Amino acid sequence: MTAQSVTAGAVQVVGGIALSPFLIGLTQLAKARLQGRRGPGPLQPYRELRRLWGKSGVDVESTTLVYRLAPVLVAAALGAAILLVPAAQGAPGLGVGHDALALAGLLALARLSVCAAAWDTSNGFALQGASRDLVLSVFVEAALVLSLAVAALVAGTTDLRGVVAGTAGSQPWTTPALGLAAVAFALVVIAETGRQPVDNPDTHLELTMIHEGPILEYAGRDQALLQWALAARHWLVLVLAASIFLPHVQGTWWQLALLPVSLTLLCLVLALTETLVAKMRILLVPRLIGVGAAVALLGIVTWLVDAL
Amino acid sequence: MTVLIVAGLTGIALGGLLSATAGRLVAGLWLQAVGTLALGLAGGLVLFGAADVGAAFTSELTPHAGIDGLTGFFLATLALVACPALVYATAYVPRTAGGRITGTLTSAFLLSLVGVVCARDALSFLFFWELMTLVPAAIILVGTSTEAARHTVFTYVAITHLGGAGTWIALLLLAHEGAIGDSTALGEGSGVQAVIAVAAMIGFGTKAGLMPMHAWLPRAHPIAPAFISALMSGVMVAVAAYGLIRVLVDWLGPPPSWVGATMLILGGLSALGGITYALFQRDLKRLLAFSTVEHLGVVALALGACLLLRRHGADQWAAFALGAALLHIVNHATFKALLFLGAGTFERATGALALDHLGGLLRRLPWSGGAFLVGALAIAGMPLLNGFASEWLTLQALLHTPAYAGVWDGTLGALALAALAATMALAVLCFVKVIGLVLLGPARRSACADAVEPARPMRWAVVALAGACVVLGTVPGLLFSRLTVLAPWPGSGDVPVRPGLDLPGTGSLPTAGILVVVCGLTALLWLVRGNRRAAVSPTWASGQLVEPQLLWTSAGFSKPLRLVLEAVLRPERELETMTSGGVVQEVSYAGRVPHLIDNHLYRPVTNGALLAASWARRLQSGRLGTYVLYLIGLVVALLLAVRIGAIG
Repeated sequence: MTAQSVTAGAVQVVGGIALSPFLIGLTQLAKARLQGRRGPGPLQPYRELRRLWGKSGVDVESTTLVYRLAPVLVAAALGAAILLVPAAQGAPGLGVGHDALALAGLLALARLSVCAAAWDTSNGFALQGASRDLVLSVFVEAALVLSLAVAALVAGTTDLRGVVAGTAGSQPWTTPALGLAAVAFALVVIAETGRQPVDNPDTHLELTMIHEGPILEYAGRDQALLQWALAARHWLVLVLAASIFLPHVQGTWWQLALLPVSLTLLCLVLALTETLVAKMRILLVPRLIGVGAAVALLGIVTWLVDAL
Repeated sequence: MTVLIVAGLTGIALGGLLSATAGRLVAGLWLQAVGTLALGLAGGLVLFGAADVGAAFTSELTPHAGIDGLTGFFLATLALVACPALVYATAYVPRTAGGRITGTLTSAFLLSLVGVVCARDALSFLFFWELMTLVPAAIILVGTSTEAARHTVFTYVAITHLGGAGTWIALLLLAHEGAIGDSTALGEGSGVQAVIAVAAMIGFGTKAGLMPMHAWLPRAHPIAPAFISALMSGVMVAVAAYGLIRVLVDWLGPPPSWVGATMLILGGLSALGGITYALFQRDLKRLLAFSTVEHLGVVALALGACLLLRRHGADQWAAFALGAALLHIVNHATFKALLFLGAGTFERATGALALDHLGGLLRRLPWSGGAFLVGALAIAGMPLLNGFASEWLTLQALLHTPAYAGVWDGTLGALALAALAATMALAVLCFVKVIGLVLLGPARRSACADAVEPARPMRWAVVALAGACVVLGTVPGLLFSRLTVLAPWPGSGDVPVRPGLDLPGTGSLPTAGILVVVCGLTALLWLVRGNRRAAVSPTWASGQLVEPQLLWTSAGFSKPLRLVLEAVLRPERELETMTSGGVVQEVSYAGRVPHLIDNHLYRPVTNGALLAASWARRLQSGRLGTYVLYLIGLVVALLLAVRIGAIG
């Protein structure tokens, strides 16, 4: 255990658990400013969480353990994912490995729990959100795995620490393949964080929601856990984007120093996209993300041709 | 060892005979279960390092039998599925004459499965192979002899025999070339090698239900009794994969890369196609049968990756890919058997298996329902359970294919990777729907509201299989380290024996660690959340009452996918509105997703065959004069041919 691995581990765990709501707050603030509003401060998500934590949960008639377990399991799966995604190449092992594809499995576990709970309540709006979310996830998963595959092929391993180290360099992108994968991953980020043009995080109208839909019935601490899980999801994909697909340098200290800058930049970009782009028709979204997957595939072909 | 094997075989055979006697059916089935257990133990011992038993493979045509590591693995898989299935059967099979025949035929089915994997020469392999196809057909007909069932059995026997010709050609050619058990006998890239590869892919692929040769599988598996469905979907298709592994991976020697590429294409098509059509089924057992097509597709993907990696010299990753295929076979056998047995329980408890007419069974049947939930989570590829471990390995094998296999094969590997990732997400969609419609929500029929737990043995069986899913999901590494050394090429398949999966070039999957972290965090958060709850409230439906008509259906939940894939799936929909006096009186709607491969591949072929048959029938007028005319015509034609020098 060197100083740098302890620091990297601390940034990863504390950042993932405590700072992830700040990312949402920052994005909302930037979005408000871009739209000419003052907007709430970046600490607003924490206030929301405190408010929700103080309220009691509500059980829906004739639900089973599945409904009670879902928020807890979602938060636990995201917690395990936070332990899995390293903040820098020197991150310590925290018992869950560092595999890129295992991450996809944990995200799927969280998604399945929420959607099963939607069936448990038999709420029509919840099920509508769940079915849309799962259909989009088919394309998102393909794009996610392919874009991570490009990075893994470039780095020669699917160990995320090795990927961070293997894609680091002083040039913007060490190979053109990574640039293509970054395009695909950008779409994955938008879909996984539930932002425009895929989903609108500000809406609470039942018929237009995707990610808000399945958690409609939850209140109090259940809702707080689910809201935190959404923030953690932001942290995970943005950290991956920052430490793999954005230009970054070798060395744990440098990467840790650069991380806040990259994360802030990515939040600003998310806010900018949300301001510039309107929400898409839901049936067109798979096409958009499918194009992302195709671009990532092109990245692999580029890498293969490059390696000749 | 010999004692175990003899005891096992005698147990199954005696159990079969005992089942036929009146009043001894239950004892007979238990004896069969003990017999398979003994055989499975023997197989497991060989797999985990005991010496091979019996003969080695031979190209002679005299009967030989033996057990090596791969055979041992399949015997253990058979026992893992058949023991619970037979225990289940003790309470499931009716104590009638029909039930007794089913009991006896089950023992014949088990013996034929054992025979195929233990055969060491072409002839006994083919003998047991045919038996393995025919016995389930007989069992289905004993159970139900309706017109529809007879037609299905005919389709099953017809397609598997047409495809089965491939198996015969492959095996007999291999025996002729002396290549059974000898991977150096065939010339690399020779014509014989190509013919054998194609014949094996058609023959074994049909039996494994790979698309587009799968048409029989979703028809035949659902109509068998539940425990036979479990054996067919869990073990019989696995035995077909056994054939593929023996021929393609071992006896063919290193095959040309188009063989691996073809397996990847067949596998990707089966995986994506299987799960997509599963999503649009209305019957639970039919849905499960389509998902079998999907999972054999995953196995084929792993085998394709194995062949390509071997071709390009990455022996270590080829061994890992083979291990992934084998691990997925045993995982699929466990959860699919569990789900079919669970479906049988639900059918008994509620009387029907239409997805839209179940609901709320987790509350009514906590044991069977809970076990079914575990199985559904495992098949959906959730981490912590066994399905994820082998799918993770398969993803890794496909991801590493581009790293070794050059531009063309590498691109195909990447495409297969995308297909598998999408398949896993579709499986989540499919089995969330199954969990929701079957286990959760309100009961959609009065029979579901009054359902009760079945007899104890039926409960034990599903709970034991759910336990197997958890164990295989927690310590897959212990088994995997034995599976990679089964690769017929020397060395480099060795991995350190760990509970989790730790391969070079991956971030490792410490399954036990993930289990501890996720379960620990869940427990911790559950405690932290505390027990403060407000009064129970009804479901929010914009202020309306939730009425049964407002409940979501299977078709509703998969509608977004149907719309997204409209261009590919070509769903049919009929909407009729009856108005009188400008007021809508009645609206009738019917929608379905037709099976494209059936419509565009099988229907033209069967129509063509029927047309040809009707032409041929005109020749058979039945009058003596016509036949004499044919004879005279033939003689004249022959004489003419001799005259112009074409023959003679």
